[in-house]
Formats: sequence, structure tokens, C-alpha cells
Amino acid sequence: MSPTQRLILLFCSILSFASAALLFPRGEGESGVNAPVTVPIAQPSAEDLEPPCRNKKRAAWRQEQVIDDVPISASPMCEPDNPNAVAAFVKGTDRVAMETLMRTHLARDALIKGDDRDGDGDPDVIHISLEVIELNGSSPDGDYLFPTYNIAPGIQPGLWVFAPKTRGMAIKHLFTDEANEMLRAPSPVIRVEQGDTVMITLENTHYFPHSIHLHGVDHPWRDAAGNYNDGVPQTGERHVLPGERKTYTITPRQTGTMFYHCHVQTDTHLMMGLNGMFVVEENRPNNWLQTFNVGAGHVRHSSAAVKERYDREYDLHYQALDKELGSIIQSANDPRLIAKAMNRDYDLTDATEDYYLLNGHAFPYTLRDALIVAKPDEHLKLRVVNAQRGLLALHFHGHKAAVTALDGVEQPLGLQVTRDVFDIAPAQRVDLHLQTTDDGLHSYGPGIWLFHDHVESGITTNGLNPGGNISVLVYDQFLTEQGMPAVDRSIVQQLFSKRFQARQTPVWQQGEAAQLYGDTAPLFPPTGRVIAAGLLVGIGFCLLVIVFRSFSRSR
Amino acid sequence: MHRIPLSIVLFMLSQTAVTQTRSTESQPSEPMTVRPAPDTTPHQHHRMHIDMDGMVMNKNSETLPEGCERIAGEAEITVHAGRRHARRFNGKIFAFDRQEWSVQPCTRVRITLVNDDDIRHQLMIHELPVYLHPPFGMFTIELNGKGRKTGTLITPKEKKTYLVHCDVPQHMENGMKAQLKVDGGDGDLSSIPGLTAEETPDHYPVEWSNQAYALLCIAAFTGLTIPFLLRGLLRNRRSTSPTADQKK
Repeated sequence: MSPTQRLILLFCSILSFASAALLFPRGEGESGVNAPVTVPIAQPSAEDLEPPCRNKKRAAWRQEQVIDDVPISASPMCEPDNPNAVAAFVKGTDRVAMETLMRTHLARDALIKGDDRDGDGDPDVIHISLEVIELNGSSPDGDYLFPTYNIAPGIQPGLWVFAPKTRGMAIKHLFTDEANEMLRAPSPVIRVEQGDTVMITLENTHYFPHSIHLHGVDHPWRDAAGNYNDGVPQTGERHVLPGERKTYTITPRQTGTMFYHCHVQTDTHLMMGLNGMFVVEENRPNNWLQTFNVGAGHVRHSSAAVKERYDREYDLHYQALDKELGSIIQSANDPRLIAKAMNRDYDLTDATEDYYLLNGHAFPYTLRDALIVAKPDEHLKLRVVNAQRGLLALHFHGHKAAVTALDGVEQPLGLQVTRDVFDIAPAQRVDLHLQTTDDGLHSYGPGIWLFHDHVESGITTNGLNPGGNISVLVYDQFLTEQGMPAVDRSIVQQLFSKRFQARQTPVWQQGEAAQLYGDTAPLFPPTGRVIAAGLLVGIGFCLLVIVFRSFSRSR
Repeated sequence: MHRIPLSIVLFMLSQTAVTQTRSTESQPSEPMTVRPAPDTTPHQHHRMHIDMDGMVMNKNSETLPEGCERIAGEAEITVHAGRRHARRFNGKIFAFDRQEWSVQPCTRVRITLVNDDDIRHQLMIHELPVYLHPPFGMFTIELNGKGRKTGTLITPKEKKTYLVHCDVPQHMENGMKAQLKVDGGDGDLSSIPGLTAEETPDHYPVEWSNQAYALLCIAAFTGLTIPFLLRGLLRNRRSTSPTADQKK
């Protein structure tokens, strides 16, 4: 074979390979006359599905009870607050019976309640210890997160919280990575009495520097000892480094629903979850307060002033997380790498939030512990804080509530506006008086009524609706024995699938809709093109063999 | 089927009468505050028959189309419309129970539309002779909900395919489309469910199954042999030709 012939054959070989590559069917195709069938929705595996309410043993926690002389009101939801922890938060971890404390994860020195200075029957010197806890953080020992905290089935964004000082294992029990009930979002609500001397000690258990800024709470810029007290590194205060502690001392003169957050790199540290509600209650005799409300939500031991006017009290903490920000702590362990990624690479002005939480959970987990439960003809006190980056437009179905206070300041009666959407700017607080009087204004009657952010991004979880901060105001006649809203199980069950939450299964799975809007079966690649591409590959390869063989023969 | 009780119909009729007398009394400049009650009397107007259940527009049972000397025959078509009829077609929401009808020219066709849904559906035929179906050459049966209505038309003499559809937005696009062929028709329309492909087809993901890979392998092996076979053929021819020896 002459070199020219070889060259021609080689060229032909390359040509057939190239045309095979061009003809090779890939990507998408057209269906012709008949569209592909609908793939039936696969039955979810046991691993994928969780029961809507899994805490059967918590039935005892739901009941009204007295622990160590502390009356604790009934909290008929799937996951009520631990009544032993409520008792410890009222009495102080130093005064509560050791037996009670052992039923919590709290440290003995988490909350010390001191002298009754004004002799009115309650302690007036309160010492609070807060730790900084990372949830869903990474480990150099393997591809896993620790300790884990699910905001919705299978969803574990990296986040930080302030937490009451705890003891022992961070996890629920030895055979899980799941954080114990004290270590959760949001940072706990803190309740103190007007005029109390409150010492808040930040014990920095984290690997980054942090501080506490008491937003809206009466506090001197510098305390009596001359220490900076505003939590702001730019005005003189040194941030608290890992392993250090700092005490903020305040004696708040004004009451109201306030806010607290870390003021070190506030843009990211607040967005990572270092923010919580801070309530200053009226000074009343025998006013033993539930100093912490972990996970916010139902207040099981309200203050004297609230009990006078209201039947129930709920703390509603709205928070948004950015998936990309949270993933920074999950993609490295070296704090220098995390600091660079968070402080210098990450740009909040280019960011969008992905997770919207009410009391630390996204729907449907909000159904477990962020319900508002009511009976007809009741008065409800709702304290709302917007810790999101954007506006919160809080809407209640079936009800119109009245604004009694803005940013902790009681509004004059004439300005206590009644409405059904409350626009709350970031960091603002609104106190609401919600009446369940069936008069067509305050309430349209008993039911399972949704309440949610009406900025629609707020009702999504990583883009999936229904999700986000949706929860329900449910009249107790519509609660199941397990404390879940009495909605048909087939509707609720789908929401508790990890695959559904990961947007892997169709949204409409009920009845005929499953067939109408299910996934389309993939197409078989076009037969003609498959054959043509195959033939060309064969021909090209054969031509190559011929050329090589003629080479070796000519040598 | 929604049947309105007679008593309600009578009440509405009386209300209509009251509204009409009122409107004659009132000043024309006065703003209209009372919405007149719906006219429930069957109403013949511009070849339109309308009532509470729907309407039939442009029916023609008498006038012969041009070129037809007489009515050549009678035909009866019953068309069901609704979501359930789309179940046979993947990715369609609404449909008629049939997608094609064939009729002879100059035939009187009695068309009955049966609406099996609780919403409005239509059967609309286009491009009929304008002198028979003024002003746009359309024939329409519309039903406001479940129920049935009948209208008649006489097919023209020409060999032609007519579009049959529902004009409620997105109903035709989602499957409520069919064709009426007179004298065998003059072709097919696009995107008739189960019959013809779409003009602007959707794109679906393609997945390589085992069968596809097998097909590819078989084709590749076949391809592998082709040049050898060709060379063999070529050699055979050369060896039989006189120039072959010279080259060697």
C-alpha cells in the first residue's frame, strides 16, 4: 500500500469516527406522535420515610404538670418542650432538684438565680451562661456531619447557635450523631424581669471569635467596671476568642420583646444563626420566669403579667439560612480556610437564602413543635422576631390579630392596628394579640389554619413548596392524640420523605394527579442514529487496523 | 347533568321582566347599579341559539352548499369531551373521545356534543363556507358544564380536512383537537392526539437502555466487517481484471 493510499484510508477512518460522534444520540429527543408514558411514583422505602410524629414516649411531656413546685402548662404537640428543662429554667439550674436536672442535658451552672433584692418573692440577680454551638459541621475523620440537626427531613445546613450551657454528650444517645434537644435552632429565647441584674456570660466553645449584642435591651455602653458592653469590636470591645468567657452585665429598665445576636462579622454570624429573642418582662411579685425558651415556640410558664391578660403565649422566631454560607463550615476543617472563605470570598450581596425556619424548623417539621394551639374564645400573646435578611410578611389564615407592641414598645390603644398581614423588617419585633373569638373579624371559627410568611420565598425549602416557615394555628379539637393536626395521613406522609424534600419526586402524588403530572419516562435513543453511529465506529476502527497492518507489513 | 328546577327558572324569568321594565323607566345617564338577571329564555339571534346550558352557533340544516344538488345523505356524530378522554394520551389533559371523523360531501350531519366535565367545553369547526356560516365560517357548540347539545351542518362538496377543537385557552393545546374529513380530506392536521406529531415538539430526556447499547455493539461489529468485505470484493474484481497481473 502506498503512503498516499494509507493517508486516504487514515483520513476516511477519522472521518467515520467524527461522523459517528456527530450522529451519536444524546441529551434530549422528540417523541413523535405519542408522548412517553408517566413513570409510576415509586413506593418510598422505610429509610426514606419518617413517621410524621415519632415521639410516642413524649406523651407524658405534653401534660400539664408541676415539677419542683413549678407549674408547667399542657403543650399538646408532637414534640413539646421537656418539662424538666422548663422547671430548671424557672427555678435555676442551681436550685432545681438534681433528679430533675438529670432529666435534662443542662449544666449545673447554666442558670444561677440569686438574691431576691426587692423582697417580692422572686430572684432578681440572674446569671445566664451561653455557649456557641456548631450544628451540622464537618469532621476531619470522615465524610459526615456532627452533631446533626435536621431542619426538615434529610436537610442539614451548617449553622451556629447560642445554647444554654449543657453537660455531657452533645448527642441524643450513643448510637446517633443527632444533637440533643438543647442543641438546636434557633438560639434560645431569653426572659428576664425588668430591674433584675442580669449577667450574661458568653463562654466561647466555638473555634471562631464571637460576641453578644443586646439589640433593643437597655444596657450601658460600658458596665460599672468600665468593660465594653455593647458587643461591637469596632467600638472598642475585644471579641471573645475560643476558650475565653466574657460577662455582659445589664439592669434593663424597660420591658418589651427585644433581640440579641453576635456582633462579630455580623453579616455572616447573624445569618449563620447566632441570634435570638430577648424578652424583658414587667416586674411583678412572685414572678419566677422561664429564663430560657429553647427552640422558642410555646411558653409553658408565662410571666405574671402575661398570665393576667392572656391564655397562652408563643414565641415565634423567623430565620433564614443560605445554603452556600452554611456549606463553608462543611467543606473545610482548618479555621483559617473557613475564615477566608467566609470573611473574604463569600459575598452576602450576591447571596440568596435557601431555608426559611420558624422556631428552627422548616415545614413539615414545624408541625411537630411550632404549632399555635388554641381553643375558641381565648386570648393569645404572640411575640414575633424577624431574624431573616429580608422582609417578613406574616399572615394568619382565618384570623386578624392586633399589634400591641413594636420593637418592645407598647403601642397606645388607638395605634394597636388589627390586620392579617404584618410587615416586619429584619431585626424588628412585633407583639400580637390574637383572639380566637368567632366573630368574622378576629377569627372565622375553629379549624386548622395555616400561618406563614407571605413573601413567597419564605414558604419554600431550597425552592421546594410547601416548605419554609409554614405552620398552623390549630384549635385543639383538631389535634390527634400524638399532637399532630388531624389532616389525612396520605397528605402529610409524602412531606416526610427525604426524597420529596430533595425535590426528587413529583409534588402532586395524590389520585389522578400522580398520573397527570408525574415524571415522563425517558426516550429510547433514535434507532437509526444508534445503528449509523455503530456502523461508522466499526468502519473507522477497521480502516485503522488495515492501515496499521500495511505499515507493519512494509517494515 | 345540571338541571335547573322549574321554579328557579320561573323566578329568574320574572326577575328579567322586572329589570327590563325598570331599565325603560330609568334615565339613560344614570349609572347602572343593578346587574340584570341572566336572560334564560332561549334566544334566536344571528343564527345563535343560547340558553343557560350553552349555545349552538351557525347551525345549518337546510341551505345547500354550492355545488351540492341535493342532500346526499344523513350522518350522526356524537362527540364526548372531557378530561377522562385524555387518559389514553400521555401528557394530555383534555380530549374528545374520537380524534377523526370521515363524512361524505353534501351530507347533513347531526353533531351532538356531550360535555363530561364540570367546566365549559366547545366543539368548534373552522373554515366552513362563509355564506353558510357567517361571518367567519365557523360552527360552534358550547356547553357551560355537564350536558349535551345538538347542532346540524351540511358538508360542502370540496375534499377537505376541517379543524375540530375547543377554543377555551389551552384546551386544544392540551389535547382537545380533532379533524373532520370530508370526502377523505386533504391531509392531516398537526398534533392530533395519537394521530399526528406536533409542529413544535417537546423535548424529553433520552436514556441509553441495555437494548440501545446492544444495538450499538451489533452495529459496530457489522461496521468492522464492512471494509474487509469491500476489500475482498475489490481484490476479487482486480484478480479477474487483466491489469491485476501487471501491478503485481
